[in-house]
Amino acid sequence: MCDGPVRKFNFVYLLAYIFVPIAVCALCIGIAFGPFRGVGAGAAVLTVVPSLASIAWWVGGGRFLYSRAKKRAEAELKAQGVNANQIFYSRGWSVFVDVAGGQVGLVSFWNPFKIFLIPASRIQKTWVDDGVGGVAIFKGSNRVSFLLQVDNSNVRVDTFTSNQRFAPNSDHILTGISKADTWVEILQAAKQNAG
Amino acid sequence: MGFFRNIRSIFHDDWCSRCKSQMEVVRKQLYALPDQRVGHYKAHDDAAYYQKTLVPIEKKAQVPTGMYACGMHVYRCPQCGHQAVKLTVFLPVRDEEKVEQALYFEDGEMDAFL
Ligand SMILES: [Zn+2]
Repeated sequence: MCDGPVRKFNFVYLLAYIFVPIAVCALCIGIAFGPFRGVGAGAAVLTVVPSLASIAWWVGGGRFLYSRAKKRAEAELKAQGVNANQIFYSRGWSVFVDVAGGQVGLVSFWNPFKIFLIPASRIQKTWVDDGVGGVAIFKGSNRVSFLLQVDNSNVRVDTFTSNQRFAPNSDHILTGISKADTWVEILQAAKQNAG
Repeated sequence: MGFFRNIRSIFHDDWCSRCKSQMEVVRKQLYALPDQRVGHYKAHDDAAYYQKTLVPIEKKAQVPTGMYACGMHVYRCPQCGHQAVKLTVFLPVRDEEKVEQALYFEDGEMDAFL
């Protein structure tokens, strides 16, 4: 548990996430074409296995660590006596709010080893971004989020994302806005209770 | 059953199913559906559920953010006296409404509630 400052990225993790598999692959390929040169099977294994492992890691590794972090956060908050009765999971952030206790827990996808727990009074600002842009029939959005400003950085929590664009009054966008509006109210209520 | 009710209501929901004449709206009422929240909507087709759950309100602004609402229209046929009740379940979002379900009760299922 960490009381901040709240940060979205753990840069060491971010760099390791990208480059460690590349380094391992390079090393294995180096070995395959060095000491294992001529040993067909060994060289093949050293080339193929690390490549497949890297791809598996890039596809699923982050999600795996993030989902573990979410579960850990739930358990640790409970152990600390935080009654996180309002929880929102999005791809980038998970938000846990104890409205009556005025406390907010945060876990970021790119910072999965830290569980932030802050008093809601540290929230400087909350708002909804409906992502709507364009004019006339091109008016639309593919992302709706609510944001909270904590420790001078913005935490953006998506309530709807898509690779398609939807009209502002479409069911998807309206649902996203409703969720985001609800969450702004939850955060404000927690902030008030934090005094 | 609910499916056909939904289909019917898209077309002439104010036609009398008995004599095909146009019915009159004799009552309108707005309700909140406190156990239905955005992101956790569960469809219900049975009148009993609505009789148990609906909370009458005066205007849409009274519905808390993220809570579903339900509009009720009571129709009556001036020709044969047949009565029908239409429920429209929707999520109020700012000035818009996201309609989730429209239900049509024709056989007095909602009478006890009226
Ligand atoms: Zn009739």
